[in-house]
Amino acid sequence: MASSASKRLFKEYKGLSSDAPEGITAGPVTEDDMFLWEALIQGPEGTPFEGGVFPAELKFPKDYPLAPPSMRFLVDVWHPNVYPNGQVCISILHPPGDDPNHYEQASERWSPIQSVEKILISVMSMLAEPNDESPANVEAAKMWREKRADYEKVVRDNVRKSLGL
Amino acid sequence: MAEQTLNIPQLLVFIIVSILAIRWYLAKPAPAGTRPAGANRAVRINPAHIDQISNMFPQLNRRDIAWDLQRNGGNVANTTERVLRGGGLDAPPPSFNAPAPRPTLTSRTATPVAKPSQPDLITRYNLSSKLATKSETATPEEQPKQKAWSQDRTERQANLQRRREEMILAARRKLEEKEKAKNSGTSA
Repeated sequence: MASSASKRLFKEYKGLSSDAPEGITAGPVTEDDMFLWEALIQGPEGTPFEGGVFPAELKFPKDYPLAPPSMRFLVDVWHPNVYPNGQVCISILHPPGDDPNHYEQASERWSPIQSVEKILISVMSMLAEPNDESPANVEAAKMWREKRADYEKVVRDNVRKSLGL
Repeated sequence: MAEQTLNIPQLLVFIIVSILAIRWYLAKPAPAGTRPAGANRAVRINPAHIDQISNMFPQLNRRDIAWDLQRNGGNVANTTERVLRGGGLDAPPPSFNAPAPRPTLTSRTATPVAKPSQPDLITRYNLSSKLATKSETATPEEQPKQKAWSQDRTERQANLQRRREEMILAARRKLEEKEKAKNSGTSA
């Protein structure tokens, strides 16, 4: 089980290295452990996240790709769908069974035909378009809804801070 | 004749009395039956129990678990046994409301309060030394682009590292320039 999981992860690593999508860099922290990755995602243009680079760690379960990885940002990301501890809450990271609220389509959720690349692209578009239905960070969601200018300012300040300016 | 006419009201009375008796008899168990059901509804399903089962059987729907617990009075062992016996759990009726609060949610939001502020990327990736040197060199695009995938493991690792650093440094330079442009714009 674990060996087929690491084989698959290695294949995805190779694919992402030779043909990386724009604004995404991802790979295992060390090849000794294929189950812990670190990814860098560029803030999408035309959003307050523009210009920022956001590192995140991806933890894969031993039965990957049957179960999805978990993803956590390693810098402060002020976003309705990111928990204050950095954990990303997005439908593609949820297994099809785990949906008590029934607002997610089964097709949006995790399945073995998804991939790390698709997760990272989904997270990138999530940064641009928050999903207001299930806020992971209630404060950020409220600010996003009611005081958009303040929200964008917090995001921009975080971007500057994360780049050491 | 007189006996016959007397019989009809008697019959009517008898019928009415028996209808009332039957109705009373049928109505009697109904409240008796609803009372335990009401008590059942009052059984507060502990979300921790749902979590416990959900952790054991991640394939199960939390709502199904809640429904099964609801029906057996919150008995975790009972539900577990039911799952292990094979077959899944019954799907709850659409009207059933699973307990809304997910303790994982609250604990997740509660923990980060103590979390220290994250270090910035320059510190995190040890780029302070490269920050100065890189900005003096020409545009990084002019450097020959190495192929991203290598058969050699250490080279691969180095390539990944380099791509990470380039991405961060490029973002930092861009932001610096933007900032500079903004500052000169405001001072002018």
